Amino acid sequence: MTNIWVIAKNTFRSALRDKILYAVLGFGVLYILFTIFLSVISLDDLQMTKNFGLAGLYVFGLIIAIFLGTSVLAKEVSDRTLYFVLSKPVSRSQVIIGKWLGIFLAVSVTVLIMAAVYLGVIWNRGGGFDAWSLLAVLFELMEIGFFVALTIFFSTISTSLASVMEAAVVLFMGHAVSALLESAEKQGISGLGYRALQLIYYVFPNLEKFNLRNLVVYQMGISWSAAGATVAYAICYSALLLWAAIAIFRKREL
Amino acid sequence: MIELSHITKAYKKRKVVDDFTLTVHAPIFGFLGQNGAGKTTIMKMMVGLTLSTAGTITIGGKPAGEAATKEMTGFMPESPYFYERLTGLEFLRFCGELFQKSRAKTDDDYGALLKKVGIYGAKDRYVSTYSKGMKQRLGFAQALVNDPEYIFLDEPLDGLDPVGRKEMKTIIRALKAEGRNVFFNSHILYDIEELCDEMGIVHSGKLLYAGPVKAFTQGKSLEERFVETVEAHVQKEGGAISVA
Repeated sequence: MTNIWVIAKNTFRSALRDKILYAVLGFGVLYILFTIFLSVISLDDLQMTKNFGLAGLYVFGLIIAIFLGTSVLAKEVSDRTLYFVLSKPVSRSQVIIGKWLGIFLAVSVTVLIMAAVYLGVIWNRGGGFDAWSLLAVLFELMEIGFFVALTIFFSTISTSLASVMEAAVVLFMGHAVSALLESAEKQGISGLGYRALQLIYYVFPNLEKFNLRNLVVYQMGISWSAAGATVAYAICYSALLLWAAIAIFRKREL
Repeated sequence: MIELSHITKAYKKRKVVDDFTLTVHAPIFGFLGQNGAGKTTIMKMMVGLTLSTAGTITIGGKPAGEAATKEMTGFMPESPYFYERLTGLEFLRFCGELFQKSRAKTDDDYGALLKKVGIYGAKDRYVSTYSKGMKQRLGFAQALVNDPEYIFLDEPLDGLDPVGRKEMKTIIRALKAEGRNVFFNSHILYDIEELCDEMGIVHSGKLLYAGPVKAFTQGKSLEERFVETVEAHVQKEGGAISVA
């Protein structure tokens, strides 16, 4: 456990000193501040401001997660910095979990900074302290935790660039597939096409589960049992991905 | 004592180390061979970075690669890359914290080690600003961070200027005086001749000689004897000397 924490601290520290992270964070903060302008031209439509703000938090958080997650292990292998770590009393599973934790913490810090700016914007536009939005941010962080596990898994089997593309495909499918299935059911599509869609639905993670933005913004009410199931889903799926990454990484020649 | 018994390492069907057996008693042992001879692969197996396909390795009586064995060994890879966004001191602290026995060390302890390898003045600078020689020294320092009994160095004097080489050699001799064992890879004959109590010659993953340096040279230069030995082996095998 100590080694995991030592590796996580080192990963976190290195990530926070990455200039590109600050560039993306800077754009994220600018975007959220830009929603003030949107609020003004939409005659103080607070729901729209919240929608754009939370979506910005999510998108910029994911960009940082992709950028950090896909390169972290591949770079360690290609640069051979892992020689320093694995020649010490450290197991490969500790490396994977430590890297995941470090990246997740670094992305979480940047998301929380953007969340603070977002809360400031909402307060400035007369929305007071938007505590419910923090719930949406929490679920966004859960998705990011899952997503970092996914990028680390891909980086054990692919190059950095391929990992980015694979992760982007899973991200897209993970959000689109439940809507596609729902749409197919409404239109009464059946047969082979529907079965193929069902297969895709079960193969890809259902990332829409983490999207509480509309529920929070439009105050549609949250099912706490569904929220609990989503937390369990995030933990189990992330653990499964990390376990698979460890199994592959253990067999990898350095 | 370091013992390698019938070690084989194969990548798919290609054997890079073939039925390799060696026992090392000497405090400073040099491993000599051409580039691509298998020196680094053998060292990687000794420090637990890769597994052998067959055979056993023990370091001080303990199986190589186990956590308890790694606690008493230090390793410096060839041409090391570092976490460039850490300072020298942070990197050394990170390495130290990975050892159970070094967790209680303070920044003063790490500073003393950086002084020993001559880069204390740069301890708070990012590693990305270090010269090649400074990185080599930092790599050396991290190999000593846990006060190891066995130190494995892969081409430790590569990239150092003459003063740096002299200083590193002084430290290696001091480690011997402290009762530690140093095992290093090199393709620089002069370093082996100057530093080692015993040496091993490896070619195409096979051990051609192991023993005292003087017993090997028999009054000739090490270079002459090394070439003779490798050529004789190649002739016996019916091949040609390959340069990787």
